[in-house]
Amino acid sequence: MNAIEIRNLSKSFRGMYAVDHLNMTVPQGAIYGFIGENGSGKSTTEKLICGHLVPDSGEIELFGRDYTDPGVRVRVGALIENAGCFPGSSVYQNLMMQCINLGIENADEEIRRVLEIVRMEDNANLKFKSCSLGMKQRIGIAMALLGDPALLILDEPINGLDTDGMRIMREILVDITKKYGCTVLISSHILGELEKIATHYGIIRQGKMITELSAEEMDCRAQVFTSLKTADMNGAFSALSKEYADVRCENGYIRIYDVDDTAAIVDYLMKNGHVVSEISRNKIGLEEYYIELMSKKEVE
Amino acid sequence: MINSRDIIFESPTFARRIKGMLGVDFYRLFHTPLFYIFLAIAAIIPAMVSAMTMMPDPNGNTMEPLYSNVWQIIASTKSLYVIEGIADYANMNMVFIFGGIMVSIFIGHDYKSGYVKQLFTTHAKKQDYMLSKSLVCAFAMACMCITYLIGGTVGGLLVNYDTNVNIGSLLVAIFGKIIMSVGWASLYTFLNIIFRKYFGVSIASSFFFGTGILIIGVAAIVENLSLPTAFLNIFLYGASVNANLSSGIDALIICITVSVAWAVFYNYLGTKILSRSDVY
Repeated sequence: MNAIEIRNLSKSFRGMYAVDHLNMTVPQGAIYGFIGENGSGKSTTEKLICGHLVPDSGEIELFGRDYTDPGVRVRVGALIENAGCFPGSSVYQNLMMQCINLGIENADEEIRRVLEIVRMEDNANLKFKSCSLGMKQRIGIAMALLGDPALLILDEPINGLDTDGMRIMREILVDITKKYGCTVLISSHILGELEKIATHYGIIRQGKMITELSAEEMDCRAQVFTSLKTADMNGAFSALSKEYADVRCENGYIRIYDVDDTAAIVDYLMKNGHVVSEISRNKIGLEEYYIELMSKKEVE
Repeated sequence: MINSRDIIFESPTFARRIKGMLGVDFYRLFHTPLFYIFLAIAAIIPAMVSAMTMMPDPNGNTMEPLYSNVWQIIASTKSLYVIEGIADYANMNMVFIFGGIMVSIFIGHDYKSGYVKQLFTTHAKKQDYMLSKSLVCAFAMACMCITYLIGGTVGGLLVNYDTNVNIGSLLVAIFGKIIMSVGWASLYTFLNIIFRKYFGVSIASSFFFGTGILIIGVAAIVENLSLPTAFLNIFLYGASVNANLSSGIDALIICITVSVAWAVFYNYLGTKILSRSDVY
């Protein structure tokens, strides 16, 4: 069963499509990295799933049920744009309100549990307004985690965080999925961070889904290449072009694609009278793939 | 690696949903200063109004008393849709003006803080939100009516106003106005749903409707044309004014009917609007 199944979803504001006939499939149990530039429609899609916005057309199903079914919606936790807490109330009071809202019986225990997950067990009595940005984001995640959600929707949870904050957030997200097994839809600009946790990706541009792929598919697509420098770059390039199929001169380096046997390359160049001064094995990751995909679309 | 589990989805009953939503709203009401501030305002204003007019000036003269009877601070002596003097207006009906402002702030904070996102994410039925806000705000306004009664009575007794009254009519007036809180709270909730993106406009609109200016205007025209004014009782302001110190049980029945009818109407309309429009 898919956790989220979106078919032909559209939403416009003043005649402009923010989400344009979008199709999306998030398998149950996945950590789905939702990627796109600013204004591409990520947050709008998430708000549509959460029922904050009314779609112009299309269908949204959560765990095989219509998204307006109260039974499924009560099992959705969301952090969209901000934590959505009352600034004058304490962290505990904000969490308590959500516990009451969800009808959680052992509220104190549940609050302690989620505060432990987000590493804020000592800050329950702090006023929300006096928390740092990183803490506020973590409280937002704690709010979303209350009541054992089946689906977590997190909109840019690591934006604006410092390195340490990002690390803590990543650990929290990995913990959540490992221990509680809920499906996570997470949008972020920080692709390097996303790559470390996501099992699936969806890339959106101008409200349209460009591609969806799993981490395994991403790995298959990820090209490996060897990057090197020699004293005679032109000579080495000619020699390598005769031996290898895909040789390119990029950013001041010679790059040999789909080859990662550096020893063989060094050996071959030595035989042809070239001394290698610098060599490294590389892989095109999510970030490079995304940039490439975006530039292709721009050309189209 | 995908980590999935079996999930059971149970649709919460209406009672469970509304219990959760009401629980949140009552928790907020009792754990934030807003409610207590407005309770205090509702108590202090009638006490001040009654006492201030009786304060002697440097020559020892006092102003013309605003009221002649303690219970006039609570309700007017007859159904006065058009105001003849400030005393006709300055009674428990004023709670519906302060109450409107309180409701606007209460609901406005839901949107300002973004907490409403949590509510709408987990509550697919918009009716839950509308109904819960209306009921909790009605409760808050009813409490304000009680503190107004206490403040007004204490103030009136302190300045030695007369206490003669028809107890039956007084009870009708008090209970009638308390019951009207349901209708007024639903109106204010509805207005705040419409103007949810404009906090200032929602406060202004609540204040405008709370003053009853529209009905007072209509009443002035009706009275000028020497037409019967009884039909004005179908409106919230009219029914609120109709519960006064000369009312009978019929006024209480009118209050119940009008308050519930408008509450149902505004809740229905508010739910429709929320269901068909973007909520945040």
